[in-house]
Amino acid sequence: MTKRGTRRFFLGGTLACTVLFVGMTIDSHRQFGRLTHADQITPAVIQGKHVWHRKDCINCHTLLGEGAYYAPDLTKITEHRGTAYLQAFLKDPSKFYTEARDRRLMPNPKLTDAEIDEVIAFLGWVSKIDNQGWPPRPILVSGAAIPGTNVGAPAPHAASNEPSEQGEALFRTSPPGCFSCHSVSPGVNLAGPSLADIGERAGTRVKSPDYHGQATDAAGYIRESILHPSAYLVPGATYSAGGRSFMPDNFGTLLKAEQVDQLVAYLRTLQNSQ
Amino acid sequence: MRYRSQAVAYPYFAVALLLFGLQVAFGLLAAAKYLGPDPLLNVLPFDRVKEIHTNLLIVWVLTGFMGASYYLVPEESGAELWSPKLAYIALVVWVLMGLTAVIGYAFGWTEGNKLLEQPFPLKLVIVAVMLMFLANLLLTIRRAGRWTTTEAVLVAGLIFTALLYLPALLTFDNYTVSIFYRWWTVHLWVEGVWEMIQGALLAYLLIRLSGVDREVLEKWLYVIVGLTFISGIIGTAHHYYWVGVPQYWLPIGGFFSALEPLVFLGMAMYAYYAMRRSGLRHPNQLAIHWTIGSAVFSALGAGLLGLAHTWPAVNRWTHGTLITPMHGHAAFFGAYVMIVLAMITYALPGLTGRDETRLEGPVGIWAFWLMVGGMFGMTMAFATAGIAQTYLERIIGLGFLETQHKIQVHFLMLLATGLLFALGVALFLWDFFLGRGRPLPVPATEPRLAETAT
Repeated sequence: MTKRGTRRFFLGGTLACTVLFVGMTIDSHRQFGRLTHADQITPAVIQGKHVWHRKDCINCHTLLGEGAYYAPDLTKITEHRGTAYLQAFLKDPSKFYTEARDRRLMPNPKLTDAEIDEVIAFLGWVSKIDNQGWPPRPILVSGAAIPGTNVGAPAPHAASNEPSEQGEALFRTSPPGCFSCHSVSPGVNLAGPSLADIGERAGTRVKSPDYHGQATDAAGYIRESILHPSAYLVPGATYSAGGRSFMPDNFGTLLKAEQVDQLVAYLRTLQNSQ
Repeated sequence: MRYRSQAVAYPYFAVALLLFGLQVAFGLLAAAKYLGPDPLLNVLPFDRVKEIHTNLLIVWVLTGFMGASYYLVPEESGAELWSPKLAYIALVVWVLMGLTAVIGYAFGWTEGNKLLEQPFPLKLVIVAVMLMFLANLLLTIRRAGRWTTTEAVLVAGLIFTALLYLPALLTFDNYTVSIFYRWWTVHLWVEGVWEMIQGALLAYLLIRLSGVDREVLEKWLYVIVGLTFISGIIGTAHHYYWVGVPQYWLPIGGFFSALEPLVFLGMAMYAYYAMRRSGLRHPNQLAIHWTIGSAVFSALGAGLLGLAHTWPAVNRWTHGTLITPMHGHAAFFGAYVMIVLAMITYALPGLTGRDETRLEGPVGIWAFWLMVGGMFGMTMAFATAGIAQTYLERIIGLGFLETQHKIQVHFLMLLATGLLFALGVALFLWDFFLGRGRPLPVPATEPRLAETAT
């Protein structure tokens, strides 16, 4: 190609792309109102946007995934936290997080009550923007999205002597290693079925005509399932065969009686969270 | 140095380098805050440090571009600069603006709009300085009555830089719309017209350093600039994926922004070709290091690492994680920091009245390798942190705070490699201000006008 040819390539290519880009921009303006629910941009939302900028929030946080990467994304924060919580948090973040425990702390933004309400209104409006369903799964400020998998927490210690708390710690300890086959998250079936609402399910199951075991109440059913797993078989080819559950049947010898009590106490607390 | 007025470049380079040093200091502070805990939490919180860090980058790179242009335009047009005095006045105003901005940021005077935080009055000063600068260049070219392709591409890049700053003056009530136009400035600068400037400076340096035929190189320059705009203009869409724009920006933006690496691949090939074909061995080895370094490092940082997360299906998971600063650091360093440092090292012997061959020496080479190695390490630290964050936080669903705690070891690596980088910067600055960058007194018998560059 000659220099003249390459110049034509440059000018022609640039022009064509600019035309396409400007065309898409004009069309986007036709759609912004609908995609962003522009009719819901109230004076409070606009004021809240000013607070957002004035306090330089974007140089620590991200919003719609844009900003700095030092603090959590706030796109859906109003769906994850209630207004009362956010008001209290913005009044004094140090009541909720500490540097010693969480490594990072937000300095007090020193907002008035009105400014707090405005910035919450702004974030509420942002959370409803139609943005191709991003984020694909919730981005949490802290904690874990899959309860029972316990990815974040260190080796479990019970917070008190409460049997259910002792049982929860035991559930996450190996042995007995309950967590390696059972999640406590709805619909998350590992090698064994999910125990998400077992506290509730146990009560209905003992009364069902399919049940032929010895237990008469929820606690009894859970205890029996731990000690004699084949007394009732949850349907599923990967859970049992030939009338025998795949779950080990030696927990009666592995665990002390009081440990079984603790597990029962914990599992009974798992109620349907809906 | 062929023209006396090219000396205007020297104070611009000096200011650029001082601001570079300050930028790196704030960068180290920001990295330390990632490690935590933060004793300065209530004095100078992260947001202000980060804002000063990024704004200093923009200001010093622009200062470097201006210095480079004042050096290049008289030489290419074959005439003295229209008004050196205007250039000095512009520099003073520019420095005052920059210092006001930095001090203002430290005390919370900000518009809080990422990368365009400059308060409105300062934005107007920026526009005014840009106008003084462009007027000076254009009047020089007009008076000379001639220009080269390289120079035309450079000046066009600078004019578009000024024009594309104008959307930054607008405000919108709708946050999505304001994001939309913010990228017209930020994206179309760094992935559009600044690449034009980089391409032109690269062409100039390659012509001077390798002695390769100008016609051939300028032909390539058009191809590169053409590819820049074909991929880069619609490539703006990779910033639009999840912010509330119509769906069609995703596939179209994905396609065009996936073409962006071609530009950098083109530049790397262009540099390789130029050095390979010329039989010449220019004595300014340090300038060759920075020139070739810029072409190669930008292919990695801006090209490959940009491609890594530009496709919508990938970006859906990496958007807003530390993957972004991985790309950002390597891209800015390779494309813009290195090209400005290349221009400085190339122009320095002429500007200080020294023999070019004597610029060779261990300090400059150490500065080069420490910066390159340090930045590569920082890029890897951000990459490993970002990949871990994407899996833990975005895919598995672990909370932000727990994730940041789990990836702390990468912040340690970030700080360590950042210190290496800072050491390289310190050596470069030492060399410029206390070593071979100090101007020599001009011998009375040998007027500077008579000197010629290679």
